[in-house]
Amino acid sequence: MRSALLRRAFLLLPVVFLVLFLLLPLAFMVVVSFWKRALLKMEPAFDLTNYVDFLAGPRLPVLGRSFLVAIEATAIGLLIAYPIAYYLARRAKPNTTRIVLVLLTVPFLINYIIRAFAWTWLLGRTGLVNATLMDLGLADGPIDWLLYSNFSVLVGMVSSYMPFMVFPLWMSIAGIDRRLPEASWMLGAPPWTTFRKVILPLSMPGVFAAIIFSFVGCFGESAVPIILGGVGYQLIGNEITSTMDTLNYPLAAAMSSVVTASMLALLLVWYFAFDLRSFLGKILAWRIA
Amino acid sequence: MGGPAGGSRRLSTAAWCLIGAVLALLYLPLVPPMLFSVEPATVGGGPTLDWYAKMWESPLLAGAVISSLEAALIVAAMTPVLALGAAMAVRELKVPRLILVLVLLPLFVPSVSLGLAGAFFFRQLGIPPSLLTIVIVQMLWALPFAALIVLTAMSTFDPVLLEAAHMSGAGRWRAFRDVELPLIWPGVSGAATFSFILSFNETVRTSLVQGPLNTVQTYIWSTYKQIGLSPALYALMTLLILLTLLLAGAMLVLGRKSGAARSR
Repeated sequence: MRSALLRRAFLLLPVVFLVLFLLLPLAFMVVVSFWKRALLKMEPAFDLTNYVDFLAGPRLPVLGRSFLVAIEATAIGLLIAYPIAYYLARRAKPNTTRIVLVLLTVPFLINYIIRAFAWTWLLGRTGLVNATLMDLGLADGPIDWLLYSNFSVLVGMVSSYMPFMVFPLWMSIAGIDRRLPEASWMLGAPPWTTFRKVILPLSMPGVFAAIIFSFVGCFGESAVPIILGGVGYQLIGNEITSTMDTLNYPLAAAMSSVVTASMLALLLVWYFAFDLRSFLGKILAWRIA
Repeated sequence: MGGPAGGSRRLSTAAWCLIGAVLALLYLPLVPPMLFSVEPATVGGGPTLDWYAKMWESPLLAGAVISSLEAALIVAAMTPVLALGAAMAVRELKVPRLILVLVLLPLFVPSVSLGLAGAFFFRQLGIPPSLLTIVIVQMLWALPFAALIVLTAMSTFDPVLLEAAHMSGAGRWRAFRDVELPLIWPGVSGAATFSFILSFNETVRTSLVQGPLNTVQTYIWSTYKQIGLSPALYALMTLLILLTLLLAGAMLVLGRKSGAARSR
């Protein structure tokens, strides 16, 4: 009896941990977003000023730009990650797949901030990319828009989040019943049609998971715009941290709440639109029937 | 598979070009910090390893290294326990989908928001920023990955073995400890290493709840923001890159060994 209780407690421990340290803090952040700023502190209130400040002030274009940059980085990441995942799931040998997936994971583990520092040199006026382009005669002088631009921010974001997009894509494509594309082939469909009408629709849970993962990371990104965007390049992520630096906590909470709420809305769509089995099928087939 | 062999081969070549290019672009940024860390101290001087000694002149660094190691070790010890509980909850409780989404939730909360929410919450509860707050936000970040690793290990475990243990008279705890745990151990230890690495490489979430403490990563971040990059900072980054590569390598070798032992 006591051991059954202990077991129950062990299973519920992570749930308690997440409710206590994730859900409650997020809910409290929303509460704070209605509070008022009082000098160096904040005081409880029910005040919409922060949202008005945020959505009517000069910060709205920042939100718009973050949205655009996140969509661009996610789209580029998907265009790169999907073919890789497709090839690994359907053509490559299992051992090759394993090695490539590991090689993709390792740079993901190294702090992307350190990698972003490296890009500032690689893309700079005297950096490797410009030097190579000039050596090859592809450019007459150093190209300036490589660094401190939308381009360099996209490079930083894609290289931070794309590697991990491969995983959900690979899981969902590998989980497709092999008989389905074979049936399509036997019925005379050319490979492209089979891909479009069979593989692509069946891999949508993975596509959507990859999109959310990258979009969340890019949309809230606060370090990459500072390092690779240059002075004055604002995205909502570093706008939030600089608002924190000016000690306007309730406004930072309001911006952060808007960002988090939009991400959780995406997650809800994913949760209700797709069967988790088809995405994590291999891992969960034995449990979620 | 469909399509003439020539088309398939061309597809294969194209895929390998893409994979090669992507890997090159992912590994390329690991090189410049190493180059800049041996930059000559004087004009005309040769490459030098001096910066690896000089970086310790900063009074904050030694403390940051210790805090980083402490945090990473605690995160590596605690997260797999939560991950194991979560994986078993997914298997045994009645609402597996809900638990799974809850466990994966930290992946879907932007890093700034996760740190900020933690900062407000701890402040309200009167918990001062400390190693504890750093560990909590880092565990939140590591838990989804750890849980997925443990779940993957569990999926290769045949539940029939548990039934066999029950029939031989073992209680649930005994069956778990003596039969299941040894078989899924590679997953649990993999989750621990992964958590250690994630903790050791985390900046944004940590920096919002660090208080007076520094980890190595927040030290790099704040030095960059206040002073800028320097050869000494690149030397530190190089050490962190090498350490992470080493740990990732160890994780793979260990995972491979136990995998081979099991399939034998």
